[in-house]
Amino acid sequence: MYKKYTKTVCTPPGCVKKILLVMKITTIILFVAFMQVSAVGLAQKVTLVQKDATIRQIFKEINKQTGYNIFWSDSQINGDTKLSVDFKNTPLADVLNICLENSELTYSIEDKNVVIKQKEQSFLDNLKDKAAKVLAIPSDINGTVVDSTGNTLPGATIILKSTSFSTNTYTDDKGEFHFKNVTQGKYTLSVTYIGYGKQEKLIETTGKDITIKFVLYNSVSGLDQVQVIAYGTQSKRFSVGSVSTVTAEDIEKQPVDNLLLALQGQAPGLAITATSGIPGSQVLVQIRGQNTLGSAAGLRPYDQPLFIVDGVPFAAGNNNVNQFASLVAAQHTSASLTNTVGISPFGNIDPADIESITILKDADATAIYGTQGANGVILITTKKGKPGATAFDLNVNTSFNSAAHPVQLMNTQQYLQFRKDAFTADGITPTNNSGSFNSYAPDLTVFDQNKYTNWEQVMYGQNTNNTDVHASLSGGTATNTFLISTGYNRSSYNYPGNFADQRYTLHSNMHHSSNDARLTVDLITDFGYEQNNSAGFGGAQDVVLPPNLPDLLGPSGNLLWKYQGFDLTTDQFYSSLQQPTYLQNYNLNTSFNISYKLFAGLTIGANMGYNRNTTNENSQTPGASQNPASFNFNRQANFSTNTAQTLNIEPQINYKKTIGKGILTALVGATYKKATTNSTYLTGQGYSNDNFLGSIDNATSIAAIDGATLYRYNAGFARINYIYDNEFIVNLTGRRDASSKFGPTNQFGNFGSVGAGWIFSEQKFLKNSLPVLSFGKLTGSYGTSGTDNVADYLFQSLFQPIPYIPTFQGVASSAPVNLYNPNFSWPLKKSLNIALDLGFFNDRLLLNATFYRDRETNQLVNIPEPVQTGFNSVLGNLPATVQNQGFEFSVSSTNIKVRNFSWRTNFNLSFNRNKLIAFPNLASSTYASTYVIGQSTSTIYGYQYKDVNPTTGLFEFYKANGTVTYNPNFQLASAGGDKVAIANRDIKYMGGFGNTFTYKQFSLFIFCQFSSQNAPNYLFQAYNSSGLLGFMYNQPTAVLGNYWKTPGDVSQLQRLASSYSSPFIASAGTSAISQVFKFAASSGVYSDDTYLRVKTVSLAYQLPNALLNKVHIKAASVFVNGQNLLTFTNYKVGDPEQPGTYSSFPVQRVVAFGLNLKF
Amino acid sequence: MKKIFSNTNKITTCLLLAAVSLASCKKLITIPANPPTAITQQEQFADSTTTIQAVAGVYAYNAGNGFAYSDGMVTTTTGLSSDELSYAQTNDTQQFYNYTLTPFTANIGTLWTNAYQSIYQTNAVLSGVTNNSGLSTGFQKQIIGEMEVVRSLYYFNLVNLYGDVPLVTSTDYNTTAYIPRTPVATVYHQIIADLGDARKKLTAAYPSAGRARPNLYAATALLAKVNLYQGNWQNAYNEADSVIRLGGYILVQTGLTKVFLDGSTEAIWQLPITQSYSGVADAQRFVPSYTGATPNYQVIAPLLTAFETGDQRLQSWIGSTVISGKTIYYPYKYKNTSPSTTPTEDQMVFRLAEMYLIRAEAAAQLNNLTQALTDVNTIRARAGLAASTANPTSQTAVLNAVMHERQVELFCEWGNRWFDLKRTGAAAAVLGTAKTGFTANAALYPLPQAQIQLDNLLTQNPGY
Repeated sequence: MYKKYTKTVCTPPGCVKKILLVMKITTIILFVAFMQVSAVGLAQKVTLVQKDATIRQIFKEINKQTGYNIFWSDSQINGDTKLSVDFKNTPLADVLNICLENSELTYSIEDKNVVIKQKEQSFLDNLKDKAAKVLAIPSDINGTVVDSTGNTLPGATIILKSTSFSTNTYTDDKGEFHFKNVTQGKYTLSVTYIGYGKQEKLIETTGKDITIKFVLYNSVSGLDQVQVIAYGTQSKRFSVGSVSTVTAEDIEKQPVDNLLLALQGQAPGLAITATSGIPGSQVLVQIRGQNTLGSAAGLRPYDQPLFIVDGVPFAAGNNNVNQFASLVAAQHTSASLTNTVGISPFGNIDPADIESITILKDADATAIYGTQGANGVILITTKKGKPGATAFDLNVNTSFNSAAHPVQLMNTQQYLQFRKDAFTADGITPTNNSGSFNSYAPDLTVFDQNKYTNWEQVMYGQNTNNTDVHASLSGGTATNTFLISTGYNRSSYNYPGNFADQRYTLHSNMHHSSNDARLTVDLITDFGYEQNNSAGFGGAQDVVLPPNLPDLLGPSGNLLWKYQGFDLTTDQFYSSLQQPTYLQNYNLNTSFNISYKLFAGLTIGANMGYNRNTTNENSQTPGASQNPASFNFNRQANFSTNTAQTLNIEPQINYKKTIGKGILTALVGATYKKATTNSTYLTGQGYSNDNFLGSIDNATSIAAIDGATLYRYNAGFARINYIYDNEFIVNLTGRRDASSKFGPTNQFGNFGSVGAGWIFSEQKFLKNSLPVLSFGKLTGSYGTSGTDNVADYLFQSLFQPIPYIPTFQGVASSAPVNLYNPNFSWPLKKSLNIALDLGFFNDRLLLNATFYRDRETNQLVNIPEPVQTGFNSVLGNLPATVQNQGFEFSVSSTNIKVRNFSWRTNFNLSFNRNKLIAFPNLASSTYASTYVIGQSTSTIYGYQYKDVNPTTGLFEFYKANGTVTYNPNFQLASAGGDKVAIANRDIKYMGGFGNTFTYKQFSLFIFCQFSSQNAPNYLFQAYNSSGLLGFMYNQPTAVLGNYWKTPGDVSQLQRLASSYSSPFIASAGTSAISQVFKFAASSGVYSDDTYLRVKTVSLAYQLPNALLNKVHIKAASVFVNGQNLLTFTNYKVGDPEQPGTYSSFPVQRVVAFGLNLKF
Repeated sequence: MKKIFSNTNKITTCLLLAAVSLASCKKLITIPANPPTAITQQEQFADSTTTIQAVAGVYAYNAGNGFAYSDGMVTTTTGLSSDELSYAQTNDTQQFYNYTLTPFTANIGTLWTNAYQSIYQTNAVLSGVTNNSGLSTGFQKQIIGEMEVVRSLYYFNLVNLYGDVPLVTSTDYNTTAYIPRTPVATVYHQIIADLGDARKKLTAAYPSAGRARPNLYAATALLAKVNLYQGNWQNAYNEADSVIRLGGYILVQTGLTKVFLDGSTEAIWQLPITQSYSGVADAQRFVPSYTGATPNYQVIAPLLTAFETGDQRLQSWIGSTVISGKTIYYPYKYKNTSPSTTPTEDQMVFRLAEMYLIRAEAAAQLNNLTQALTDVNTIRARAGLAASTANPTSQTAVLNAVMHERQVELFCEWGNRWFDLKRTGAAAAVLGTAKTGFTANAALYPLPQAQIQLDNLLTQNPGY
């Protein structure tokens, strides 16, 4: 250090400097000697973090913490002047300097007293100043910009303005700025820096040089808050891409176990779908609509974005982590989506560890991800330590859960009458003869006619409670910060049985920067252990068992298999509930980031990330759960291990330079990614004892299969951003990709985007004529991206062993895996995005309106094939082009902000319209019956339902030509049939709005989410499942009084059918069963599904500090958070979020009571 | 401004160049030729050792869950449609019994789908083996012959279930995805050509242990059946005759319960069990899962009453159980639901008894009534019955005797009864009396709706 010091100072002309140095040192020594007494006093430290503290409060606090008395008067200084302060062990002198900044005041310390007084000028100084003023000598303005912790802020924009003049500069590497030779006059000096509130000072130059220190505080206005983007951060103010951010503040109010659920309704263009209310279950995510075509007839695919956690790609395709079926997989609503359901990969991340979630939507934001960004990108950033005193934060809550929107099913009386009506309609007399399948009706002839069990109540009528604990320890200095947090969550199932999803997490973050701030190192490690204990198939679908079904459990809880000769085996759902499925998921996500500043403006560094996600499963079929008389009695156990690993290395060079009136930032980097999965699956059979089922060793027969995939990917990317004069922004990105998923000739791809923005509110005429407009920005972007989210190795014709049929006569068997198509490549998505941002009243009201148009062509899908080709699909490209076009609006407003009360509102609304705009040779493709050019790809084609024929009591339909028929043709109307567009599964509009109220120590947050679409109604299930209306299954009470009974009845639903033997009705030339299948494909099973759900209500009370200080607690709050409390909907039977079913596990209403303590 | 942008351009160019040079490194994305769990087609057919695994795959599918036919489904569905079985469960399988099938009925899709997936496998083996210089000519001949027999069996069943079906002999989806149904006659033409070729390529010796893979006589047996269905009486006679005389197969005489066992002397082609924990598919489907359980498939009166008094087949091949005081009957040709039970059963594809009955029918049609009755009586004698009382000079009476014998000998085997009723034109009369709801259109099952939607050149059968 010594060497360095002398070196810096000893630059020629050496001697002059040396003399000056000696003088300086002498002065310092003298000064230190004089100040020694007070220096002791000044060693006192003050800690105070408060927004808008008054001078009065600060002085009081100083007195309390240091014991020093402060003498001052209101005539000198306005005691109500507000300052936002962030003192953490700050020396008293600095505290006082900050308080008295910008005033003509100084202070002196005598004994234990601080006296505030007018600055005195020496006579000479006074004279010199006056002379300078008279002679109009120009002054230099020098300054530094630091943040609230004292770190310098290089690259901040400084604007010096007078009524006739404006210039700007940027802070240098040391956070300093200089304006030389400023002519005398009054100026406004303003400082802006991304993520910090703008600061302005009025100054007057009088010939004397001015030195100013700006302390910037984290921005309160949403416009200047830092948001995470691809490979960096930016502020909304200068962003040209379409980016939404959800912050920890929004997440932590929601008592959800899956962080994805906390995003519902929070960001425009982002659709979140819970597959069920089961703890740990899968949550689907989609950004700006469906880009790709379907791969199976009648089912909708669901594009999901790329997820990145702390820079590491996570959960490719948002695939479920389980291999085994369990209650989680069984009790979902598919809503005809092709997506796999099961245990969510995000169940192993504690929402409390999340700092922010960024949703990247347009090409400007996503093109830098090349072949991976076409469906949007979600960046998840975990919490980091903040400098300051070590803080301990504890959050504990318990929540109570129940079904949010239960369906009313028939009671025994209603049910028996319903069944009798069905037999009457069929003209069949119910019998107790099990050999006569068409008349056998044990529910009417064998079971107790007065017994009533509400199976829905049995399945999920119970209330459960969840526990969530989260504790974190954080702190550090400006150069080293740390955060360690741990969480525990236990969410129980409503099912009869001890089923729960439990999560243990350990999160840590370390940050170091060298003293000269050139080297920074960040290490983030997340470990999660999730344990999901449930059972095999069975449960919720059995809510439709006859309400007078005999008891399934004996007095000692034993399983019953027979009731008066009636075999209960197929209805014995307790059997599957006694077949446990244990799942353990281990998630390790670690990210290491290093950067080194080579010279001013140029930084080199690298992100290195590794994710390992391992799932172990064991499912058991104990003897105790099986009918002991069965010839197939077989104790069985399955074991699986599934490990997915991703290694991601991304070296980067960042460059930042002030060029003229603008700032250029450039990024160039490369990605190397390797992802592997390995899975094994063992089935053991023939165990002799239930207690052995946790081990494969005791099986007498073992079958094993395994799987492995390998994916390699590499890319180079660059981004150049130029912000000119705080007014014009240009952003260019490019990426060249290489992926091993494509055949040798198609591995490389180039993607890019161009974005531009104009902050028109910087225009002088606007500033003058429209003073309420504080911000206005017009942005546009256009670019390309792609996707390679397909299975590996499919460009070859592959053979593999047939699962579970290991050998044929001792020879290992092998079968083809796929149809051979070596030529597929990535699809190309072209995105256009235009947005207008407006800020009013000093950015208290911020509005955004966005128009976008995405077109994905060269569609890469599993193209459905007729099975005569050997398979149901082939991976390949289609020349089809799918367009998603829409508008997004968001508003954020601080409606009221007064002394004790504030009210803030956030609102967002999005409309997306999907359309197939081109598909050459559609008519001769396998999609001929699925899509129509010009229509949405989510359009459902089916029969136009008319009503029930009053004479025959059967469903009738319209043919394409408008005539009425029992028997419409199944082809599309365009192909000469009768199928027309009957519904569109796209979300028509969706959004959310939140209001936050604070009054003194209380805060209240109410968030509502809404959505509107066409969706299958409850009849979709009633007429699609194995138990059709009238069969031996319970149904919602909604059908009562609505079905046809006798000729002349005008009714909504046709005559009941008692079984598949329901007779042919000659007069109509069809049967009730036959009509059911047509009805199930008609407009009759689709309804409008619009709902508004009071998603979150959070009420918190901050305990008074005075009370807490006595027990050494810094802050404490108690809160009540409610989720899914109320629903307003036009959707009749069932939950509008789970359309088309009334027997899946319902979305939960959660009320959580909690306590938060900060030490 | 201008200067700034030219600077920017320079920097842009530099950065982009750097990025491009960092990327596009082919080495970094090189992956092994195949994943550990799969191999490429080339590797699969590299030599006879690996090729035989693909062949094993074809048969393993046959006996496993892929091939609907030996999975019992041809037997059960056609058993319900004819006058053999009824169904006790409440699901859409009942529609086979009621003649209320729709293009959506689940098993309609399965019967179609599994056949074509297996046909693809045989086509894949054929294309991998044909003209493969890594394989000996003798081995090529053997495998090609076997695959031709397997493929023919699938098509034979497809045309009898659905009528016209797409004829696919290639693995290239570009040529097979969008095609219409091929007329039955053309499909039969292909079958006969394939079997003719197979007979040239195969020998009397079985290529592996037991009778698990078809030999010359398995090909001949299928050819006999195809010719019978086509009304080529002389050919049918000749083929069946050659199997009976030259094949060396012997009718099981000592106990009918041994007919379906592994190593049965009358087996021409029988598939071993390949799944580790279940018996032959037919046993799985028909035998109730525990004492007192209601059988899913129940033998109905027309079949029960068809057995003459003293017919040992009724005792040996029909099981019964008493439920709520009533006796319920079920097919019991296969008895073991678990492979660990001895003696082991195999899934019979062709057996000698059927050849006797084919020769008998062909002989009767050729007016060789003596030969016909001799063959019928051979089968009757084995069942413990006296010689047929049919008028030996009446062709109709002899033919009826043959058909009756087919009903009670071949019941619940491979759809024989349903196919017999249809091909002889007796369906309307027999089923019209025995059951309700049968229409002429019901003779052909509907094509699965999903398939028509994918290939809209496929047309639906009338009545659906």
